[in-house]
Amino acid sequence: MSLVTPALSATDRTELLLARSRTALTLTPPIGDPAYARYCHELARSLTTAWPAVRSANARDIERAERRGLPPTLVNRLRVTDAHLRSMVRLTEQVSAELATVSASGPRIPAGDWGTLRQIPKPLGVLLMVYEARPTVTVDGALLPVVVGNSVLLRGGKECGATDAALAEAVQSALAAAGLPRDLVTVVDDPDRSVMKALLKRPDAVDVLVPRGSPSLIEYCRTASSIPLIASGGGVNHLYVHESADLDLAATITLDSKLPEPAGCTSVELVLADRRIAGAYLTALLRQTERTAKERTANGRAAAGVPAAPDGEPPLLTVRLDPAVPGPEPASPGRPWRIEALEPHDLGREFLDPTIGVLAVDGLSEAAGHIRRYGSTHTEGVIAQDAAVAEEFARRVDAATVVVNGSLRLHDGPKLGIGAELAIATGRLHVRGPVTLGSLLTRTWVVEGNGQLRG
Amino acid sequence: MTAVEQFDRVAVADAVKRVVIAESRLSVDPATITETEPLVGELLRVNSLGFVGMLVQIEDVLDITLPDDLFVGRTFKVVGDLVDVVLQGAEASR
Repeated sequence: MSLVTPALSATDRTELLLARSRTALTLTPPIGDPAYARYCHELARSLTTAWPAVRSANARDIERAERRGLPPTLVNRLRVTDAHLRSMVRLTEQVSAELATVSASGPRIPAGDWGTLRQIPKPLGVLLMVYEARPTVTVDGALLPVVVGNSVLLRGGKECGATDAALAEAVQSALAAAGLPRDLVTVVDDPDRSVMKALLKRPDAVDVLVPRGSPSLIEYCRTASSIPLIASGGGVNHLYVHESADLDLAATITLDSKLPEPAGCTSVELVLADRRIAGAYLTALLRQTERTAKERTANGRAAAGVPAAPDGEPPLLTVRLDPAVPGPEPASPGRPWRIEALEPHDLGREFLDPTIGVLAVDGLSEAAGHIRRYGSTHTEGVIAQDAAVAEEFARRVDAATVVVNGSLRLHDGPKLGIGAELAIATGRLHVRGPVTLGSLLTRTWVVEGNGQLRG
Repeated sequence: MTAVEQFDRVAVADAVKRVVIAESRLSVDPATITETEPLVGELLRVNSLGFVGMLVQIEDVLDITLPDDLFVGRTFKVVGDLVDVVLQGAEASR
């Protein structure tokens, strides 16, 4: 039920939201209860049944956004399609399949010679997710934290208000059908920013804050709230190409780390190449870019990227090149790559498009120093045939994940085989890397004392 | 005199520059950004998807409440355009 009523102040509305969410938490069954698997099934069914209504609500959001003059990029972010429904249903199946493992108690271990210890999973508590115009995040938030017993408050962008309301109905119907409290998931439909700000100031009532969205939003949550936070700091990611690397492999890995999702948080932004092989690496990279462009053209325009085009279309790859690295001859028309000069402000930036920088370095120490200064501790990679160099890189570079001789885009819960993820965290505590179901709970020690006293 | 009345363009411009730098995923000194710098160009790449975050960040830094629709339906080309609108919003919220 919506709390948006002029009869209540923003403070009162905030209190009600928190009270309902906390009450729902106390009414939930323990982790591992069959109700959570039922919820996965019911959510898939409920979303499928409600999908026409969700699409219709989404059309209203789109129409309103266009009328308000929002730019096309944002309008497209608001749009949900049948492909989104298929992904949501797949996610419920994947999460359901992981439940038994994540809900299991830990093994019994001896406690001295008098008893045993084990750990059992418990919910984190009340989670507040703050995000922008992304309807799919509403379903992520209503699923992953909830199946491990958490109560969630979902505060999305008001641009998705109608879509989120329709999704909330489907979610609450699924909760009820599964025998779980309806208030376990609350879509905060109050557009008043003062309610969001009030929620952020309640570490006594909210256990974990999960912001997803723009750097400003995440930074605001990080600085304005003292609620423990699970967040990503963005992906200023590097690949270090050691002089022992197979340069063709390095080129292939570079392109796979950039082209399929140029704005993704695991995308590579800057390649740090050993000075001795930097020119040869660039040659291999441009050659591989041309090969990729030909393959894409041969396959018809690949959905994931932009193929080589004669004139007027963007190149497949733009390389911002350190002037110290010998460049190629000027590109003739039709080449799928473009060379530009690497500028000082390119160091530490996320390009968010098919652009990478290439900077020459004098060895691993300089590469590690550069990453320490400019990186965001998200995903860093090394390409080397010398195993000792790769090991040293992993020891010296601090990031949520270090990838050795592989694509940075491997940093993904399902791809790594560690389960569905809510986000990728770059914080230092509780969870770093994929935020899987196992990261959305805590644990209780169970001490079986058999009458043992401390004495 | 209220906090809003004490604002000068320099303080607002500084707050705006800090958020557009963050939104552009840059690590540069705000003092190096001029008000004529394009919001989408060689240096800055401000994306309207981040306007909610920018709004709350600016409110927090300047200790004001800005209208919800401050950025909607307007065209912003350079940093100074954003500074103008935030100053207007601060004035309107008094």
